[in-house]
Amino acid sequence: MECIITIEIGTGAIRVVAFDLSGALLGSSAGSYPTFHERPDFSEQDPEQIFITMLYILKNFLNEKIHSKRIKVVSICFNSAMHSVLPIDKKGIPIGNAIAWSDNRAKREAAYLKSSGLGESLYKATGTPIHPMSPLNKITWLKNNDKDRFAASKKFLSIKTYIIQQLTGEYIIDHSIASATGLLNIHTVQWEEEALNHAGIVRGQLPELVPVFYTPKGLKKEYQTSLGLHDKVKIIAGSSDGCMATLGAGVWGNGKATVTLEESGAVRIVGKEVLQDKKQRLFNYLLTEGNYVSGGPTNNAGSVFEWYAKQFGDFKRVFDLEGCMENLIKDAGNVPAGSQGLIFLPYLQGERAPIWNADARGVYFGLNIKHGQHHFTRATIEGIIYAFYSIGKTVQEHRNFTSLSANGTFASYPFWTQLMADVFNMTVHIKQNAGPDSVACGGFLVSVTELGMYKDLEHAAQKVKLVDMFLPRKQDHAVYMKHYPIFERLSAKLSEEFALIADLQQDD
Amino acid sequence: MNQHFLKKDCKELHAFPHIIEYALKKNATIQFDSLKKEISSCLRFYYVIDGRFDWVINGQSHILYPGDLAIVAPGQSFGGEKDFLDIGTVSWLCLGIQQWDSDGGMTMGGWSQLTDSECSAIGKFMLVNGSPIVSKLNEAGNLFVTMHNEFTNQEIGYVVRINQLIDELFILIIRHLMRQNNFRRDFPQAFLQLEKTLRENLSHQWTVEEMAALVGLGNTAFSERVKLFTGFSPLNYLINIRISEAIKLLNLSDMHVTDVALEVGFYSSQHFSTTFKKLTGYTPREFRKKNIPIED
Repeated sequence: MECIITIEIGTGAIRVVAFDLSGALLGSSAGSYPTFHERPDFSEQDPEQIFITMLYILKNFLNEKIHSKRIKVVSICFNSAMHSVLPIDKKGIPIGNAIAWSDNRAKREAAYLKSSGLGESLYKATGTPIHPMSPLNKITWLKNNDKDRFAASKKFLSIKTYIIQQLTGEYIIDHSIASATGLLNIHTVQWEEEALNHAGIVRGQLPELVPVFYTPKGLKKEYQTSLGLHDKVKIIAGSSDGCMATLGAGVWGNGKATVTLEESGAVRIVGKEVLQDKKQRLFNYLLTEGNYVSGGPTNNAGSVFEWYAKQFGDFKRVFDLEGCMENLIKDAGNVPAGSQGLIFLPYLQGERAPIWNADARGVYFGLNIKHGQHHFTRATIEGIIYAFYSIGKTVQEHRNFTSLSANGTFASYPFWTQLMADVFNMTVHIKQNAGPDSVACGGFLVSVTELGMYKDLEHAAQKVKLVDMFLPRKQDHAVYMKHYPIFERLSAKLSEEFALIADLQQDD
Repeated sequence: MNQHFLKKDCKELHAFPHIIEYALKKNATIQFDSLKKEISSCLRFYYVIDGRFDWVINGQSHILYPGDLAIVAPGQSFGGEKDFLDIGTVSWLCLGIQQWDSDGGMTMGGWSQLTDSECSAIGKFMLVNGSPIVSKLNEAGNLFVTMHNEFTNQEIGYVVRINQLIDELFILIIRHLMRQNNFRRDFPQAFLQLEKTLRENLSHQWTVEEMAALVGLGNTAFSERVKLFTGFSPLNYLINIRISEAIKLLNLSDMHVTDVALEVGFYSSQHFSTTFKKLTGYTPREFRKKNIPIED
């Protein structure tokens, strides 16, 4: 038997998944690594730890699930989180930790660029909203604030580039990860000269641009030996977690959108055209030539509910956070839709799409004497879903969609998925029994398309079957639509107060 | 209850070389400079029976009420807020610790039944916990009362009994701290803290017990949670960190391979090289050589 392996280098963990060539899951394994916050705005990861964790997990997985059953590995496809920056010196050695996607140190650089004419033209060219997350601003930050490191940097890699380079010797970056750097012109598929100038770097300091199907020459001998792999195993450049979650959810073409509900989240669509949003609220990532994954991200999805559970959950009955959250979700079911007029703005960590306001903060609004703790619980979840709805509405200003496909940890809670269906007034599809995660599925589809089993990803996407679905309940939708306008108005109206309070909090 | 005050040279303490002071004190008047702020050389436990005490421990002000217990680690400063002992009743015990490291690692000596690794875990957890005050620990009060009776009556077996009571006190405190700490709610946060501690002292021969105690869990629960959270057993996770740090040292310094091995916590360079090769496919020496200048 032959198998396809996908490796996701996620925001906090490596996930290795194996499929047979028909797409059936053969097994999976995962290992995590930490994110360090040396300063409040910093989020960094140790590139060696990520690499070692990947090798360790992959090696054990191969020995236990693949080699022991004499399954032949055809290819290994790498997908990763976006927006990471890893500077390396002239010998290829990392200079310090990798700057992770969520790192916020470049907020001043981002604010400055956004308010300039250059920011607007760069958004048009690169499709990436001007934000501290994008490598464009992170590298600019290094230039302005860490001159020695900047000067010593021979190249600026993504974490995935580093891992693939360690394994194969080639410095490459696939088009979708590259299009999330803010440095790639997504129309010409070349590094954008104006962006490079702004960041103070030259083309040679970035990895070589390759399509997601690209396969480097081969795995180094030493790793062939230590992993027990033959020399014909293909390494596939792969894509980003966001693009793969979309492809793996079967979303392609008109009428469909996908919602990812992890710690953070996003609403995404795939299309042939770049969404040129005048207010620069939406991203556009290049998946394959002429196909763009567009949408908007939120900072405040599962992480906000986890915060709520840690603060207000009952830990006497259960041992861990998961159990506590399950009980809270049950409690939320005791309160009618709309939480009897309690509305929550979930912007605990500032917000990206659609309001793009780093100063935004959480708000419970409309509290009256009859509200109890269960109202807070339900309002918290409703507020998180309203935030998704507000992104969905923004996307719909450009292109309509009529059904959703949900993935991510929190999509596995039926209460959340039903709420999503009711708020959007759309059918929400999910994979049967959750299945293998969407990112791995997307990686599988890229791998088999590379093998020639499908003409292109559009045809591959049609293969994804989403069996389980949640139908919208009209009555609840009507209730939510009475509350949502207040949510939207508050999100805009409080902008001045958000700035004031964020300023006060800065001093703490 | 009678007052009682024993100091190191008292004959009642001859059988207890590790006890530097034991006291049950009812303080009825304020005497200036009766409790000046000083760096403590021993490990101190104070249990408040009656009254209110304003103390400064390790530079932080604390107010103690009846039922509260204060812990002062060796090397920390301790004294009255106004340099005197407030009015009230308090019991204390000062222990000479055989070996105390600044990170809380300690060995207590032969009198204790706790293993070295347990002692080390207890010391580290007491420091990591942050606050030196354990509030409403009435069971500690019971232990002090029993200890007091044993000292007073000196019945047969009292030496063994008192040493056991001190062990009991350690166990009570550590279990209480573990239960009340917030780490259970937020394992990822606790684990990040642990990872930081491990990295700060990677050459230490960490045991699962010590790591579990730092997170405030029992060994079994800890191992299960780590496995679930990271995908690795605690010791394998530790190996990941050791190898990751070794890669950096190999890349960025001229350190000898043997020194790198010891620095990151392998007990021999042989063990280091085998583990390193198994994981990375290279020996440490080969790995170092493979970094060549990037061509333009």
